[in-house]
Amino acid sequence: MSDDVIWEKTISDVNDGILINLEKPHPNYWFALCLSFVFVLIGIGFWAYQVTVGMGVSGLNAPVYWGVYITDFVFWVGIGHAGTLISAILFLFRAKWRNTINRSAEAMTIFAVITAGLFPLIHVGRLWLAAYWMVPLPNTNNVWVNFRSPLIWDVFAISTYLTVSLLFWYMGLVPDLASIRDRVKGFKRLVYGFLSFGWRGTSRQWWHYEAGYGFLAALATPLVLSVHSIVSWDFAMSLQPGWHTTIFPPYFVAGAILSGTAMVYNLVIPLRKMFKLEKFILDEHMEALLKLTLLTSTLVFYAYGVEYFVAWYSGNPYEWAIFEKRAVGPYAFYFWVMVFCNCIFPMLFWSKRIRNHVPSAFVICVLINVGMWFERYNIIVSSLVEDFIPGSWGHYTPSLTSIAITFGSFGWFFFWFLIFCKYFPLVSLAEIKLIMPKPWSPKKLNGGKH
Amino acid sequence: MANKKTDKGVIAIFQYLDTFCEAIEKVRIRDDFTGHECFSPTSYHEIEHASGFGASPVRVYTLIGSLTGTTVGFGMCLLLDWDWPLIVGGKTAGIASLPAYVILGFECTILLGAIATIAGMLILGRVPNPKRKVLDPRLTDDRFGIFVPNVGPESAQAQILKELGAEEVRAT
Repeated sequence: MSDDVIWEKTISDVNDGILINLEKPHPNYWFALCLSFVFVLIGIGFWAYQVTVGMGVSGLNAPVYWGVYITDFVFWVGIGHAGTLISAILFLFRAKWRNTINRSAEAMTIFAVITAGLFPLIHVGRLWLAAYWMVPLPNTNNVWVNFRSPLIWDVFAISTYLTVSLLFWYMGLVPDLASIRDRVKGFKRLVYGFLSFGWRGTSRQWWHYEAGYGFLAALATPLVLSVHSIVSWDFAMSLQPGWHTTIFPPYFVAGAILSGTAMVYNLVIPLRKMFKLEKFILDEHMEALLKLTLLTSTLVFYAYGVEYFVAWYSGNPYEWAIFEKRAVGPYAFYFWVMVFCNCIFPMLFWSKRIRNHVPSAFVICVLINVGMWFERYNIIVSSLVEDFIPGSWGHYTPSLTSIAITFGSFGWFFFWFLIFCKYFPLVSLAEIKLIMPKPWSPKKLNGGKH
Repeated sequence: MANKKTDKGVIAIFQYLDTFCEAIEKVRIRDDFTGHECFSPTSYHEIEHASGFGASPVRVYTLIGSLTGTTVGFGMCLLLDWDWPLIVGGKTAGIASLPAYVILGFECTILLGAIATIAGMLILGRVPNPKRKVLDPRLTDDRFGIFVPNVGPESAQAQILKELGAEEVRAT
């Protein structure tokens, strides 16, 4: 596909075209930054309120001990996976279109995983105890953590995922930071010089860099599949009807990629306008991203169907009761929003016209993110609220505190992402040069033999 | 290769990739170009090919790191469960439940493998290096360069580089 892409720019235009806008972004950038900061403050305020007053303000109670915060946790971890899929898996598949959006996607992963990491602390209440309980540290009680628990697997999986994504992202940034260093003066030059480790771009450095990048991509690839499988096991390793099913790992991974690719689209479209990158992040690249979104949407659609079929086919009355209730019970609203947003609306992406109509595609991607949040809410709450024994059935509504903290997390994510956009190149300078036409000499271009 | 790296010498700037690659092929076998360095704004495979590079030693770092990770992952679980055996699901305490430990072994493999790979990239690339200077800002933009240490702009090496198609040859 990328071989047919018509590039108006050459590699000489890349550094100027992409970096010049770091200095003076569109005024909308400042508005977006301030708005996200306001949401961060709201989130912090409500979290402080919750820690002071107690977990009751979150709305969590018997039997729904996992609610909005765990939904947020799974949502944000899921968003991160598309970034690694685009950077690592598409790198190994040599999909050239990935080079334009991989830097933004990787940054999205880092900030999404950091945001996700806040939620176990928010959810647990006494975060100052939780943080060290989760890690196998020697202590005076001689107690170690339970390595057979999916919650501990999560600790290692998410820490590994954050570390590897951070390393992968940062190593990718080093040559680009060197490019910025070579353009700026004074204190900025010192800072970017420090951050770029004194990278000079010798052929040996590039040789080791490319080899290492390939290995990092190969190592990060199984993480895309394993980390969200491990998160899904937080549910699947229990006995709750509606949770205890082997389809969860592929179901969660497909859903994660779906929400992540939609989020990449939602981030890149306004930012490429704000930073005038339309000649570098081309419409064809964004269309390829939407095809990936469509693929994962069909996988999720299939997973919903299979889940339903197996619940019925199993003959397990508790399992089937949950699935019946999801569709027509008291929480049916969440279920139908999930189905429409994740499965029905994305089917519009089969149409090339809609894929290339940016406003429609943008709206559908926002709806996908809404649907994916509702999917996690649907899975978690509907299984907990009415499980085996009717005597323990209850109900749950998200409280103001939990909704405010959820919005705060979106603010936190966008805030850090916008900071990243201002000081680091949104498009990978070195990698986009690789997919643009190579700087051949006139002798070669005019049909000389090489 | 000179033992003491210097930034004093001659830099030849090239605009075109094929001219640059032909120059590298001609220059790297010559004795009077010992210690030369080639620069590019991105990692074109043609340059690697022209420079005669084979497989990078980074792979050794990755392998050692990953194997260490597997050992650490499994070892941590087995050792700590032996030290404080836990009854989980009513099953015998202190049982080495390898299927569960596979997950942690796997994650530690990836973690230590990735860290070792980064270490390899940095060590082999001799990065960070605060002592070496940036020779020309265009080398991270859209130009290629060949640097020859300890020679002047009137030297034979500079002349050869001009003949090989360099658009500019100057002292650093």
